[in-house]
Amino acid sequence: MSSVFDRTASAITGLLLVMLIALLLLGHGMPVYLVNLAGQVMCFVLLAMAVDLMWGSAGILSLGHGLFFAIGGYIAAMHLLRTAFAATHVLPDFIQFMGNGGFPGWWALFDSSLFTALAVLVVPALAAFVFGYVSFRSRVNGVYFSIITQALTYTAMLLMFRNDTGFGGNNGMTGFHAIAGLPAGGGDAGVLLASLATAAVLVCLIGGRTLLASRFGRLLAAIRDDEPRLRFLGYNTLWLKLVAWCLSASVAGVAGALYVPQVGIINPSLLDPALSLEVAVWVAVGGRGGLCGAVLGATLINLLRSWMAASAPLLWPFVLSLLVLLVVLALPNGLLDMRNRSRGWMHSLLPAVGRPRP
Amino acid sequence: MRSFVRTWLAGGLVILLLLQGRAFAAPAASMSRTDVLAKLCAAGGQDVPSALRQMLDGAVDASAADRDWAKRVVQGFSTRSLRCADDGSAFLTGPGGAVNAATLAPGASPDGLRAPLPSLRTRALLEQLDAALTLFVAPAAADRLAAVHTLERRGDGLPPGLLRHALDAEHDAQIAAGLRGLIVAAGLHSPDIPERLAAIHALGRDPTSQVVTTLATLRADPGYAEPPGVAAALDQELTQARWWVRIGDGLSLAYNGVSAGSVLFLSSVGLAIIFGLMGVINLAQGELIMIGAYATFCVQQAMRSVAPSMLDWYPLVAIPVVFVVTALVGVAMELLVIRHLYRRPLMTLLATWAISLLLVNLVRVGFGTQNLEFQTPSYLTGGVRLVGDFLVTWNHMGAIAFALAAFAVTLALLRLTDIGLFIRTVTQNRAMAGCVGISTRRIDMAAFGFGAGLAGLAGLALSPIYNVNPTMGTGFIIDSFMVVVLGGVGSLFGTAVASLGIGLVNVGIEPFYGAVAAKVVALLLVILLIQRRPEGLIALKGRR
Repeated sequence: MSSVFDRTASAITGLLLVMLIALLLLGHGMPVYLVNLAGQVMCFVLLAMAVDLMWGSAGILSLGHGLFFAIGGYIAAMHLLRTAFAATHVLPDFIQFMGNGGFPGWWALFDSSLFTALAVLVVPALAAFVFGYVSFRSRVNGVYFSIITQALTYTAMLLMFRNDTGFGGNNGMTGFHAIAGLPAGGGDAGVLLASLATAAVLVCLIGGRTLLASRFGRLLAAIRDDEPRLRFLGYNTLWLKLVAWCLSASVAGVAGALYVPQVGIINPSLLDPALSLEVAVWVAVGGRGGLCGAVLGATLINLLRSWMAASAPLLWPFVLSLLVLLVVLALPNGLLDMRNRSRGWMHSLLPAVGRPRP
Repeated sequence: MRSFVRTWLAGGLVILLLLQGRAFAAPAASMSRTDVLAKLCAAGGQDVPSALRQMLDGAVDASAADRDWAKRVVQGFSTRSLRCADDGSAFLTGPGGAVNAATLAPGASPDGLRAPLPSLRTRALLEQLDAALTLFVAPAAADRLAAVHTLERRGDGLPPGLLRHALDAEHDAQIAAGLRGLIVAAGLHSPDIPERLAAIHALGRDPTSQVVTTLATLRADPGYAEPPGVAAALDQELTQARWWVRIGDGLSLAYNGVSAGSVLFLSSVGLAIIFGLMGVINLAQGELIMIGAYATFCVQQAMRSVAPSMLDWYPLVAIPVVFVVTALVGVAMELLVIRHLYRRPLMTLLATWAISLLLVNLVRVGFGTQNLEFQTPSYLTGGVRLVGDFLVTWNHMGAIAFALAAFAVTLALLRLTDIGLFIRTVTQNRAMAGCVGISTRRIDMAAFGFGAGLAGLAGLALSPIYNVNPTMGTGFIIDSFMVVVLGGVGSLFGTAVASLGIGLVNVGIEPFYGAVAAKVVALLLVILLIQRRPEGLIALKGRR
């Protein structure tokens, strides 16, 4: 992490820039499914980066980032439902079933795009703060922390599956009319969202790497390597971890808010612990630390998945699980390790000094 | 015992009387055959209810022959095979030719017969009469039981004494119990006050929530409670019945909680041992449970084809098989994967998740996604009602007994054997244990195998209670982990206490606020507990 732009980071930034420009200039001519695929993959990349921000730098593995992703998604969906209602004056089905004769009053807040954007950033961070504070304060860490985040997401899923929670229950929210004035599901909206997602990935990659190269990033690395020593040196690791944790949650929220308009529906399946676990798998496959691995892993696995979903859907779970086992056993730091491996097998036999410990 | 003998004596007496009745075969005065047939055949059908009533009233004292005759006529009338001639004679037609309806003697029926149509209004009465006659004449116990159930719906207005006569003749315990219930129900509305009081007290002797509802409805009826003593008796029985029902509800809540806790204990004890020993959360724990259930299924299928007569005992045969199979899967996991991730606990999370994904899909390909059908052994079906509505079901009792046995065996293994000593040593201080010459790697492997085997046994115990399908394991890991966190790492007693606690909390909250609230509360409890006692309820003492 000596510089913000090492060779891998520069290559990835360049590729992302090319992709963004291509989307903006040629996006309207491209097949819609390709644009949508690119947009959705970029959202998952963003989510993976949020997980890597905690895991790669501070060594804290979250198995519950699906929660923050879904919070962002639900907020975006609420905004889109309000705008759809303003245009068509048709209440969504689940609001009619609730029998209150209209949206709950506080939903009016989401008429404003600015407020929605703010909420997408702040609400996941707030949720993360409450949970992170009680967990980090009592020094829950390691596997404990990971499983409790998973339990949190699981509980949230059960809660959202209930129809009386007020967010559409198991059917979720759908029926979006327009996205920023463009008809939902159309090519123009797709290009807009894909470009936004790509831009967000770019901003997050550059901003995140700058942050990690700063003093704050080095402190996070110190937490990963030896938290008690950092504490003895007088640093309040609680707040260091909390800031990183809330930041990570915000990024996941943005990813969700960009993802939901693209697929046109949100339901509690986004809160399935399996999804959150898979995000960690993307990061592990790509390689932890420095965010580049997260971009690589999320892109490759999601492209592979969407390709196999068409050609051999039954084989996909086998491929995924074997891939994870292979990476975990043979490439302890994911595909990024390939760089080291390629320099010669002798290197890998030496003790892994300076390599991030999990 | 005494009442049993009495019933037999009474039954014998009635049979004697019946034999006598058959010998003389004199038609009873109350059931005049020609009169009844004439009313049934009368044009317009206005006299049909009166005819049916006459048969019903007559059935109390009628001879066996008359009851047989009445039953045939009623059946003929309701299936429209009773044909009336213009001269007043009637015939019962059937596949074997016609018989004279009055004498049941075979005789050629004239042409141009009219079949009277039972009207909708008489249907209830007809059904009641048919059931009442069936009680006396049907040879098959199942038919009589069905008649009892019919009368439970249509018991109003039965002639007094009819049920008691039927009860005297009855020698099937289940049907007799049903008849006694009917007599009590009829007695409740008897105009005879002492009989009514007796019925109220009889009802109060076996209190259920249904009894409470019945009594409360009667108490609320001012006309019913008017005669002296009735209101007092109702109040007394109602208070007592309410108490018993409340006690029964409490007991059944506790029973369900303990049974849920047992299941939790079985599914989490393996996880607790492995986590305490190696600091590894095995996310494939639920899948080991699933494999245990599938192994049980395989044993069942094998027994079905090899020794069908012993099929009832397949759970016992399955115990060693399931344990060995899942333990081998566990040992293979440890040898191939976990061992290599010794210093990277977060990576073991992902690795065990990948293994669980692999196992689920292997089973899905091998067995399909549908729920497996288990033959519940006869000794695990049904249950016995103890107090109020408290039903002790044998399958849940089986799970509780199984959990207790697993607890005892695990405790004995950890406390009494060498390997248990080594497991406890390595759990307390791995480095020191290694220094004094314990092969920590082999202990890890053995403990992992043992933990996996316990998970498999949990699958066996769950097979009669849960839906068994490839994804059944996914829900377990989170609950099990809650138990481990709550109970304290590496403490068997802690695991047991925490399982019972979470089981009781779940069952206590679920009926009032739903399953989701129960999960939320359990999660909050665990998070709160970690604030106060990060090591769990029962912390393991020792330096790490």
